[in-house]
Amino acid sequence: MQPIEFAWLIPVFPLVAAIAIGLFGKKLKEGGGYVAVVAAIASLAITAAVVVQVLDGSFDSADGVMDGVFEQSQMWLTLTDSYSFEVGIYIDQLTALMLVVVSLVSTLVIVYSLAYMGGEGERKRRYYTEISLFVGVMLGLVLANNYLELFIFWELVGLCSYLLIGFWYHKPSAASAAKKAFIVTRVGDIMFMIGLIILFTTFKTLNFRDLFEIEASGTDLSLLTIGTIMIFGGAIGKSAQFPLHDWLPDAMEGPTTVSALIHAATMVKAGVYLVARSFPLFVQTPETLLVVAIIGGVTAFMAATMALNNPNIKRVLAYSTISQLGYMMLALGAGGYLFFHTQHAEGYTSSMFHLMNHAFFKALLFLCAGSVIHAVHTEDMRLMGGLNRKMKITSFTMLIGALSISGIPPFSGFWSKDEVLATVWEAGDLSWVFVLLYFLGIATAFMTAFYMFRLWFMTFTGKPSVASDHAHESPRVMTYPLILLAILAAGSFLVLFVGGGFGGQVFFEEPHSLAPAEVLTATFAEPITYLSIIVAICGVGLAYAVYYRKSISSDVFVSTKASRTMYDVLIKRYGFAAAYDAFAEKVVYGFSKLVDLFDIYVIDGIVNGFAFIFARSGNIIRRLQTGQVQLYAAIVIAGISIVFILLYLVGGLR
Amino acid sequence: MIPIEYFLALGAILFIIGAYGVLTKRNAIVVLMSIELMLNAANINFVAFSSFYGDVRGQIFALFSIAVAAAEVAVGLAILLALSKTRDTINLDEISLLRW
Amino acid sequence: MLENFPILSLLILFPLVGAILVFLTGRNGKAAKFIALAFSAAPLILSGVLLASFQMSFGEYQFQENHTWIESFGISYSLGVDGISIPMAFLTALLCFLAILFSWDVEHRTKEYMGLMLVLEVGVMGVFTSLDYFLFYVFWEVVLIPMYFLIAIWGGPRRAYASIKFFIYTHVASLAMLISIMALYFEAKPVLGYASFSMIDIATVSGGFGHLFQVAAFGALFFAFGVKMPIVPFHTWLPDAHVEAPTAGSVLLAGLLLKMGSYGIIRVALPTLPEGAQVLMPLMLAIAIVSIIYGAVICLAQRDLKKMVAFSSISHMGIVLLGIATASQLGIAAAVFQMFAHGLITAVLFMMCGVVQHKAGTREIPLLGGLASKMPYAATFMTIGFLASLGLPGMVGFVAEFSVFIATFDAYTWLLLLPIASVAITAGYYLWALQRTMFGPLTEKIDTSHLHDVSWYEAVPLAILSFLMILFGMLPGLIMDYIIPSAGIISGILGVG
Repeated sequence: MQPIEFAWLIPVFPLVAAIAIGLFGKKLKEGGGYVAVVAAIASLAITAAVVVQVLDGSFDSADGVMDGVFEQSQMWLTLTDSYSFEVGIYIDQLTALMLVVVSLVSTLVIVYSLAYMGGEGERKRRYYTEISLFVGVMLGLVLANNYLELFIFWELVGLCSYLLIGFWYHKPSAASAAKKAFIVTRVGDIMFMIGLIILFTTFKTLNFRDLFEIEASGTDLSLLTIGTIMIFGGAIGKSAQFPLHDWLPDAMEGPTTVSALIHAATMVKAGVYLVARSFPLFVQTPETLLVVAIIGGVTAFMAATMALNNPNIKRVLAYSTISQLGYMMLALGAGGYLFFHTQHAEGYTSSMFHLMNHAFFKALLFLCAGSVIHAVHTEDMRLMGGLNRKMKITSFTMLIGALSISGIPPFSGFWSKDEVLATVWEAGDLSWVFVLLYFLGIATAFMTAFYMFRLWFMTFTGKPSVASDHAHESPRVMTYPLILLAILAAGSFLVLFVGGGFGGQVFFEEPHSLAPAEVLTATFAEPITYLSIIVAICGVGLAYAVYYRKSISSDVFVSTKASRTMYDVLIKRYGFAAAYDAFAEKVVYGFSKLVDLFDIYVIDGIVNGFAFIFARSGNIIRRLQTGQVQLYAAIVIAGISIVFILLYLVGGLR
Repeated sequence: MIPIEYFLALGAILFIIGAYGVLTKRNAIVVLMSIELMLNAANINFVAFSSFYGDVRGQIFALFSIAVAAAEVAVGLAILLALSKTRDTINLDEISLLRW
Repeated sequence: MLENFPILSLLILFPLVGAILVFLTGRNGKAAKFIALAFSAAPLILSGVLLASFQMSFGEYQFQENHTWIESFGISYSLGVDGISIPMAFLTALLCFLAILFSWDVEHRTKEYMGLMLVLEVGVMGVFTSLDYFLFYVFWEVVLIPMYFLIAIWGGPRRAYASIKFFIYTHVASLAMLISIMALYFEAKPVLGYASFSMIDIATVSGGFGHLFQVAAFGALFFAFGVKMPIVPFHTWLPDAHVEAPTAGSVLLAGLLLKMGSYGIIRVALPTLPEGAQVLMPLMLAIAIVSIIYGAVICLAQRDLKKMVAFSSISHMGIVLLGIATASQLGIAAAVFQMFAHGLITAVLFMMCGVVQHKAGTREIPLLGGLASKMPYAATFMTIGFLASLGLPGMVGFVAEFSVFIATFDAYTWLLLLPIASVAITAGYYLWALQRTMFGPLTEKIDTSHLHDVSWYEAVPLAILSFLMILFGMLPGLIMDYIIPSAGIISGILGVG
């Protein structure tokens, strides 16, 4: 027996833990928190064993096909002879990467929760049930071997997200945010569902392996284009891409641990994962890839602008997440476009590399923010300040996270972001759109550096505020995960230099192994590398000047009329939140009211009208019943006479 | 031998007189009497056809209907008696209980 | 072993005997409750046996019983089940049992209440198992009467209006059905050479009936069954009936009575009059789509929780009709599965409406809020029910909706976009309602000091149904495997693969 054959157990542990905590959590210590931790660690252990085996490729795939993929499946539902669905697991390098990210980050976050959620009392049971359920279904999503199974888990992670955003359901804002998150992503999910139905009816299967072997042409190709765009619609919703991005900032109403795990490191990555998983299909349809790249680039830029002036520490991180997810989409779109034309698939690798790095540094940033919020009991950065002396570990680890996301070498964020931008630049040879997207990406890199350091300076430096007075460093259960994540955030780039490099492990079609020296030359021989380093340093410098040295007053951003308008537009999220609300309230609800009135007055009116007509006519006719016996007799005689006369006339009497 | 048409004509005339009485008279006793006339018109027809065809069954029927008529008058008068006791009238125009 | 065992007759007989016994009990309601529970548990066990011994791969009628009833008219007492009726029979037994358990706190005229519930079970079970038009019609009418009394005696403030409306509306529809049954009977008589009300006999010859006859008869049957489903625009009896009906009445009304309509279309109208079905298919499709969207949109505007759930039934039964209107094996099978799924789901939803009504004293959504803090179990069940109803994958509703959508895309391609858009609206109104009733700060508009969580007799049925919703969502094959072969036979008659 080989470890990989037990891979199906990976999601089972957290799911069993969820059921156990749900049923018996009241009697368990910490509301079942320890059970959740143990289950997560068990998953992590199996994941580690599986990943080792995937990386050295030393497994027998169950079906005898040696293509680096391990698949186990069985029939789930047979609809008709030609329509059936499977349930199973599908493990390749991409799955392995996601498994590592998900199980590692979730283990750390759950450990961190033991302290962070310690004061929630009775509610802890619900928290650990839901978060274990989330870990289970997220791992299931990653392992799925067909689109339907993926979709089922996809919706279930959405459910967990809904439940956990609404964790403090007694707060109206949390309840609203949860609802918004579910419905907005649901719009994307409907597109996803349409995409699945198109693929299924066209190709009669939803299994990854069968679909990836398809080379569509003719009508099938146009259906495939629509189908992939629709599937990407699902990714837009889940990964909070423009124009369905607006739910993610609101989702910060949930506990910070939830934001770190679900809304930064794992679930929102599911959209990127979906596109990466569907890459063999997407690369056949350049139109779709162009859409992916444009949406990704626009999202990256737009979200970064909104992060510039937000005073809420978690919302800045949320916008930053959206922006970074945009980067990943951009890399996938550009990389796929490149592959379609030149058979170079580095874009795919760079996107996945960024996905992994981002999971580490964004989880780190969120957990640091959680640590700060835990200490000062506010999320408003204007009320913080001067915390770096009181919270040394938090402040230092967050600095590492900020350096990493800003793309300052040698932290890992630099390497992946640089690869992403390099891919887009290379694709610029094929279409001017990518040149534009490249400059959007560079501008985003500048803004990222600026707002991250704005956040760091505002929180940790300057004069201590009232809220910071009683602040103290968080307990070790919280700081140890921070330190671990900081090490990963700083050093995950090292995978570039071991083995065949990241591209030799996670790749599309052909591995592109590079020796350490080649990696370095490939990176630093390109002039555009220096451009991204320079803008990052400029961003940090500007933030330093404005928020640390205060040599430039931050009032410049609101002093003139134009900048004031800009500021308001950004705070109002370009009016998206208001537009969503107006659409729901005015258009949908108004229409619904109208239909309700139509139902009451027109349709039911007609029904009641019939009843009224019959009742009325009965009222008139009953007056013939006078009670006069002689009148009745006269009518009888007249009637009989008429019958006889008629009979006589027609000759019936003869 | 008197032709049968004469009997039938007599029956028809009696029947019409009876029907006229039933429909127009206000006094319930008179209406009851008119009903008797109509019954007897039918009896005349029975007897006439009986002798015409030489079949006694007609006479049997006539006797039978006379007996029924007697019973009917008894019931009818009893109802009228009850009516006049409870409602103080046997004017049919004032008795319209089975009205809407 | 079971070849000659009259299991279907027993399914009908047990509740009938139970009803008689219940009516014979004294004033004490307790005996009535236990008898009712026992005599509704028996059919549940029997239907389990039925499911276990049914031969799935074989889609024809099984467990047939045939006895001549009125020979000169060709009326017979004949019963039988195939893959389409067997899930319905199981659903009937299950929901009746749980509804009786859920009504454990009925104190007003308990004996009559329990008796009527059992009579209702007799009627519904009869409809789902009879293979003779006359018998079918008799059972169909039997269902009306107890439901009328349940609404009229145990109903809400406008019960008189609602019960009369329900009775007359559905009775008019029954007349249309009676007329077309008679027409079929007389049309089939000369062709068959003998008088027969048997569905099987008539179906063997009715395919050859004249074009115009088929269209007219199918139209009448479609109207008759459509009112029961209900379809827009013949739906307005439903919200009124639901709002006024007692909780268990609503559960059975939505869970079973609506299914009789769609069952009638699948069992009677489609296979008997395939040519008429072909002609009227576009009409059915249009009505299905309108019902789905109309029902979903109107839900958003409702203030009464129960009325909202009632309107959502219209939307979900529209999905059933959409599946039927594809005329394909997958579509019909998915429609039947949706009927089964909807039966489980609405039962939970109406039970939750009942719980809210009992505990909080009102169902007006604007008056409620924050109930989750006082009744966490109720909130959990409500969340599960709402999520199942909005088609969350992993629960039973998703499989049904997804299959219907596949069949729709197969048959009508881009028309799918209309019904699938309703999925977002459905999520919208459910989550909004959930937010306004269960979440947020505890309401101060009503007295919440006596608010307590669900009682055991409410929790048990809710838990069983929730479990089944998840079970059949994870393993839909458990039910789907029964349906598929029989659906294939019907779509084969329709001439669409």
